[in-house]
Amino acid sequence: MDLLKKIFIALGSMDRRFIFLLVGLSVLLPKLYPDLFTLPIKPSSHSLRVFDEIDALEENSKVLVSFEYGPSTKPEIHPSAIALLNHLFSKNIKIYAVALWPDGNFMATEAFSQVSDKYGKKYGIDFVNLGYKPGGEAVVKGLASDIRTMYTVDLLGNDIDSIQMMQGVSNLSDLDFIFSLSAGYPGSKEWVQFACDPLGIPMSTACTSIQVTDIIPYVENNQIKGILSGMPGAAEYEQLVQSALYDRSVTVEPGKASINMAAQSMAHVVIVLLIILGNITYYLTRKSSNKGGI
Amino acid sequence: MFLKRQMPAIIAIGVGLFILFGHFINNPNIQGFVNNDATQWFDIIASFAIFLGALNMLKLQVVKVVKRSKGWQYSLLAIFGFAFAIFAGFFFRGANYITLTEINPHKVNILVEYISTIQEVDDPVLMASRIEGSLASYEIPKIFISKATAESFAVSLSSIANNVTLGVKPWGAHVQIKGSLFSWMFFKIFTPLSSTMFALLAFFVASASYRAFRIRNFEATLLLVSGIILMIGRVPVGELVPWWLVSTLIVFGIGALIAPFIPNKKLLFGIIIGGITLSSGIGVLLDWNLAVNIPGFLSLPNISEWIFDYPTAAGSRAIMIGIALGTIATSFRIILGIEKPF
Repeated sequence: MDLLKKIFIALGSMDRRFIFLLVGLSVLLPKLYPDLFTLPIKPSSHSLRVFDEIDALEENSKVLVSFEYGPSTKPEIHPSAIALLNHLFSKNIKIYAVALWPDGNFMATEAFSQVSDKYGKKYGIDFVNLGYKPGGEAVVKGLASDIRTMYTVDLLGNDIDSIQMMQGVSNLSDLDFIFSLSAGYPGSKEWVQFACDPLGIPMSTACTSIQVTDIIPYVENNQIKGILSGMPGAAEYEQLVQSALYDRSVTVEPGKASINMAAQSMAHVVIVLLIILGNITYYLTRKSSNKGGI
Repeated sequence: MFLKRQMPAIIAIGVGLFILFGHFINNPNIQGFVNNDATQWFDIIASFAIFLGALNMLKLQVVKVVKRSKGWQYSLLAIFGFAFAIFAGFFFRGANYITLTEINPHKVNILVEYISTIQEVDDPVLMASRIEGSLASYEIPKIFISKATAESFAVSLSSIANNVTLGVKPWGAHVQIKGSLFSWMFFKIFTPLSSTMFALLAFFVASASYRAFRIRNFEATLLLVSGIILMIGRVPVGELVPWWLVSTLIVFGIGALIAPFIPNKKLLFGIIIGGITLSSGIGVLLDWNLAVNIPGFLSLPNISEWIFDYPTAAGSRAIMIGIALGTIATSFRIILGIEKPF
């Protein structure tokens, strides 16, 4: 028993470099040997809600997709963006992209370049990228009032009046749905407060896991129609889109979030085990110190 | 003194009150100002703020280098990065492209082969069909940072089309086009650095939780238990946690809650063992081993979703209402000139 106690106490004072190694391996091994770490992905009610909302949109509906994330949060949100574009393009929905973050421009450009060709979608006819404007909520409010006061040219410098799909679109009320890909401020909250709620436009969001606590009241209040929370949400949505597109005879490769979920699962398990181990050691050392021992 | 102290306060109070009351006055001119002009003003000021922020950052770094403060070498790197971004954004487009007109229809496959030497072509057949669809004018789907490289590639294509022209993407657009110098900087330097910084968090979080996440009191235990449920329940591995493990943990949880009220440890132990036996027995009798029979409260993903939907939403709402009240109070103090953060 004493030996066991000593082992636990020794494990409890593990060098942090060893912890780093364990975490590194827990992420690396599932990436190197994905077949050994296949895990089931079951969609949550929030992800299902997002899918149903997008799936209910009719052909030629107009959807605004806002890119509010950058490279640091790309692994969490970009898979949602790719799955969303696949879903929207497969239903022949028109996409209007904007960015409230400067990095969002690059994320949008990359996402469109990854997906649009597969569906033969053309810039200016099927999708348009208006680009970034500084100002956060003021930009959202401006778009709600008059898009042309905010944007006179698109991301590529084209006059927006010369873009075919901008004809008949003067403000956000002319759009059918808003989707915010958000990693913080300005993001989903600003879209709810300054555009979707006042104008009654339905919206959904994909955000980082850490943001879910901030956004969930709006979801519960039905102001946001479903939420894709972090990488798990993205993986769930990827699976839903993949199976829906399969039914429509469109083949989509497994998304990055689905592939990375095994790595995230293993990392979480390792962290939980470390916490439990740390607490056992804490309990043992506390008892020993109370008795005047270690 | 008036310009420095009273004037900013007068502007802030005037504009603040006007916009606040503008929401309650049903006049098209006032509504137009509040909804359009004010937001445009904000947009212009925000653009200037970015410019001022960049200048301020540059000033701080330069001062650090000049004074040789601690870590001045990093400041040097920051200045170099700043200068490079300015150069790629304002002085060097690095976004050259090639357009072919009147392409020889018999040489489409050769053109695809040429293109595959400078960039990866996923589907050569699709590319060939696209080129055939635009024989009159086709833009090579590759941006060249250097004009010399673009020119040398253009020369190699001279036999394929009647006319090969070289162009440069317009200012502004060059920043966004994939393959330009600015885009190269973003994807090859900024993206890996930014991702690395964020990825390091995973290691520090693991180390910090291992050392600091301790069951010291009831609140800490609650935090720890809900944290573990969320960490496991939100990832696919949560689906693999069996019902009997969850029911056992629930019995332990109930045991921990009632422990202070039962001084007799043997009785407490008996209650816990009895609870585990009872829950396991019910599970076996009701065949909870079949996924469809498991009650929702014995599934970790369901528990984690419940935590998000109810306790988290309630806590977040309380915080949001508190922040909103604080914002209103602060806004009033600024509008009335009591507080002058400017």
